[in-house]
Formats: sequence, C-alpha cells, structure tokens
Amino acid sequence: MTRELKFESPSFTTRIKGMLGVDFYRLFHTPLFYIFLAIAAIIPAMVSAMTTMPGPDGQTMEPLYSNVWQIIAASEPLYVIRGIADYANMNMVFIFGGIMVSIFIGHDYGSGYVKQLFTTHAKKQDYMISKSLTCAFAMASMCVTYFIGGTVAGILVGYDLSVNVGSLLVAILGKMVMSLGWASLFTFLNVIFRRYFGISVASSFFFGTGIVIIGAAAVVESLGLPSSFLNIFLYGSSVNACLTGNIMTLVTCIAVSVAWALIYNLAGTLILSKSDVY
Amino acid sequence: MNAIEIRNLTKNFGPKQALAGLDMTVPEGAIYGFIGENGSGKSTTEKIICGLIHKSGGTVKLYGRDCTDPDVRAKIGVLIEAPGCFPGLTVWNNMMLQAANLGIKDAEREIVKILKLVRMEGAAGNKYKNCSLGMKQRIGIAMALLGDPQLLVLDEPINGLDADGMRIMREVLTDLAARGVTVVVSSHILGELEKIATHYGIVRGGKMICEMTAAELEASCRTFTALQAKDMRDARLVLSSRYSRVEEDEAGYLRVYDQVAPEEVAAYLFESGITVSELKSAKIGLEEYYIDLMKGGKAR
Repeated sequence: MTRELKFESPSFTTRIKGMLGVDFYRLFHTPLFYIFLAIAAIIPAMVSAMTTMPGPDGQTMEPLYSNVWQIIAASEPLYVIRGIADYANMNMVFIFGGIMVSIFIGHDYGSGYVKQLFTTHAKKQDYMISKSLTCAFAMASMCVTYFIGGTVAGILVGYDLSVNVGSLLVAILGKMVMSLGWASLFTFLNVIFRRYFGISVASSFFFGTGIVIIGAAAVVESLGLPSSFLNIFLYGSSVNACLTGNIMTLVTCIAVSVAWALIYNLAGTLILSKSDVY
Repeated sequence: MNAIEIRNLTKNFGPKQALAGLDMTVPEGAIYGFIGENGSGKSTTEKIICGLIHKSGGTVKLYGRDCTDPDVRAKIGVLIEAPGCFPGLTVWNNMMLQAANLGIKDAEREIVKILKLVRMEGAAGNKYKNCSLGMKQRIGIAMALLGDPQLLVLDEPINGLDADGMRIMREVLTDLAARGVTVVVSSHILGELEKIATHYGIVRGGKMICEMTAAELEASCRTFTALQAKDMRDARLVLSSRYSRVEEDEAGYLRVYDQVAPEEVAAYLFESGITVSELKSAKIGLEEYYIDLMKGGKAR
C-alpha cells in the first residue's frame, strides 16, 4: 500500500513561530530562567549592601556609589575601568546572561533535541534566530530584575535619588536593546563550541565581561585616541548607554545591536550549515 | 517510485572512510531491514538520509528528490539513537513541542492518535525521565510519527527492549507499513527483524554487499538436515567423511548442509551402525544467513 505524496514544507513564518513557541515554552517551564532572574536582582543588591557594611576595623566602608542610578549605569561612558564601581552596573547582566545562554543551548545538544530538530524541515537560520530572540528576551528580563534589585537596595542603603529621567531611561532601554546583540554573540559562541559545554560557558563568560574591549580601550586611551569609536562593538555600546546618554545613544545601541545580531546569526547559520550534527 | 535511492555514497571523517560507494534502494511501502556490523556505516548512512551529516560524494534521493530538499524532509520521521526529549517535561509536553516545531495545526488530536498507535496513551502525563527504556523507544517512534511522515528511519529501535516491548514495537511497525509508511530499521537483533522486514540490505565496510527481498532471502537460505544420534561424536565423524559441511549447533543438533534428503542421511548413519533419535529438515534464518555471509558467503 502506498499513499499519494504532497511535498510542501511550512513557510518561514510558521517555522519561526513554532520554534519560538518551543523556546519560550522551555524558557518559562524550566527553573534556569527564574534562577538567573533572581541572580540579576540579587547581585546589585548585594553590591550596594556590602559597600555600606562595617569593615574589619568597625568603620563603615567607603560607599561605592553616591547615587542609586550608578548601580544601573555609569555616570559617563567609562571604557577603561579604574574601580569596581565603574564596572559593577547593569552590564554585568551580559555576563550572567552568557552563562544562561550556554546552559540553555547546552540542553538542546545534551537532550538530542537539536538532532530531532534538524532531521525535520527546520533550517539552521531558524535555529539561530529563535535562540537569539529567546535569549535576548531572557537577558532583557534580567535587566528589568537587575533594575528592580539595584533600585530597591540603593534606596534602602540611602543613596541619592536625583537623576535625569530621560538619560536613565535611555541607559536602561539601551542595555535592554543590546541584549539582542549579546544573545546573538553567545548563541554564535555556543554553536562553535557546541560539543564542549565547558568551553562554551567559559567563552561566553570571557566575552561577556567585555575584557577585550576594556583592554583595547586602555591601549586607545594611552595613545591619546578618541575611544568613542569603540561604540561600534557590543561592550562599547553597552558602556555608552550611561546616565549622560541621549536619544542618539539609544539609536546607536539599536543600530549596533541589530548589526551584530545579523553578523552573528549569519556566521552561526553558516557554521551550522557546513558542519555535521552529532 | 523508490522511497530511497542512494548511489555511490561516500563519507569521510578526516582520513577515515566511513562509506565507500554505498548503493541502496528502498521501495515505497517496504520495511527495510538495514543490517551490518558495528562501524559498517549503517548509522552514517541513516544520518545522511536524515540530513544530520553531510555526504562526501554520491547521490541520495528521497522520492526522487535530493535529500536536502526541505519539502521532502518534511515527510521524514526519524529516531536516531535516542529521542530528542527534555527529561524534565512530560511525554505530552515533549510531543507538543515537537508538534509546534513541525507546525502541526491540530496537534492535540494528532498526539492522542499517535500515542494510541504506539500503545502509550496511558503514559502521556509521565515525565520523560521517569519512563522505562521500552517506553522511551516508543516515545521516539511517536515523535517520529508526528507530521504524518511517509518515511521512517529508525536506528536500533528495539535495542534493550524486553520481549513484550519487542512485540509491541513489531506490531507498531507492521501497522505503519500497512498504512503505507516506508520504514528503514537498523538492528542487531536479526531474529526480530526477520519477523517484520520485507526487504534487507546488508552493509559491510561502508559498502552494500547484498540487497534482497524477504522472498529472495527465503529462497537463498539453504535447507539443511538436523539430527540427533545416540553417539553424536561418532555420527559427526561418519557424516564428515561423506558430506562436505557438517556442524553441531548450539541446541546440540548435527547439521548437514549438503543438499541431500534427510532420509538418505539417516540411512547412511544406520548403515554405519549409528542410531538416529531425531531427524528433521530446516532452513537457516536471517541471523545465520548473515553470519555465513560475513564469513564468506557460504549461505548463498
């Protein structure tokens, strides 16, 4: 007995809708996402609280920040770090986020889901797009919990609340927008190191710290060159989304994030298409 | 039209050649038993058919189209090694996720139907990690069946199953074939395969050394005379002096493979003063055929 065959596969919209549905379902139905949301909220609270605790000599430590919103974003674009306060802001979300993406994608490979997926009509580009968007949403959500945790802790500690609301909004939205570029980078890294979970996590952590751009900024500054061109990179643009930002800062963040997302998605698709799935 | 048509397929993993010009033809509606030793190239071939790995050379056509064509890939269901399920989710949710990936519209109805087909309707609410091996294999088949595939590729689906699990799997595959689904199934459990396969392909060293239908296998498998005598040692000596191939099997029977009537063998033993206690004519099965073929083709 044979059946009449009709050859047709779902459209891009149907495919991506289905894959996004699966990824978001997984995101919301596993503890991973909620654990990282909690981490994003707790870390800024801990940083704020610890700086007001008495030191070993009984004296209160010098507060890291003078203003609540410095926990969210630096006062100005600080590409080179001179102290922990220059670094400890919402950009840390991209470090936690990188680890979360590694675990999330690691589950895909560990469970054999990827194998199941790529034996169907699913395309490699769909996979890259779906992961980047889902993880970008996760990191943007972490920015929100970071904001809540940092703000509540800052208020409780008694930091100053004065702020240019527009710039604060630009800083937060800028960093949330940057999540797309970062998520695409981490997805790309995890596609490259898909067979080595440890290296995937380590590489995401390494690039998430922005250490490459921090190092480049130090060189640029020592040469007396303008460091603003570093804004074309993910970390540079994330740093640029600070408390002195304006609408152009946000536009730059959108452009940089989307551009890098496209680059990493194309590169990841190419790698996945050329390589075998195990 | 053939469901699968492979010509001169090659695959190299670095310097190692896994497939060395493999040819394969699977007719539509067949249950194709894909047999070979470990490392012979079965899984590699299946993974190429399913689009998991790239071929180095040759052609792989599914229903006359290239195997990378997404339209034809939408018609394939696959179980390679283990089903791609998330351990913490229920069977139902895992299937819903796969249905979403496949863009199935009336997913709930289709899942109910498939779970019933694989005798898993009572386990839909179980977490995947709590399912037994047999259940997991059937879940794998259920996942492969989503989207109404025309071709199923199953890699070792009966490994590790108990007798009941094997029976259920056998029934499921036979049901599917009856519905017009072409099934390619690789397995080392040849006795089970023999009960369901309509076609066979035997692969060795990355090449197809033999393809045949079940009827051709039946015709190729030579008959032999099996007997038990009071003095098996003497009987073997006597028979070996007259017949070219005499062996003792695991069940304690002496087998005479020469094409001779059983009565003639018994008479010869009787003339030599040996009493035969049991005498029968039998045919070698797939397993023995395969072993013979691997040893150098005695079976044919």
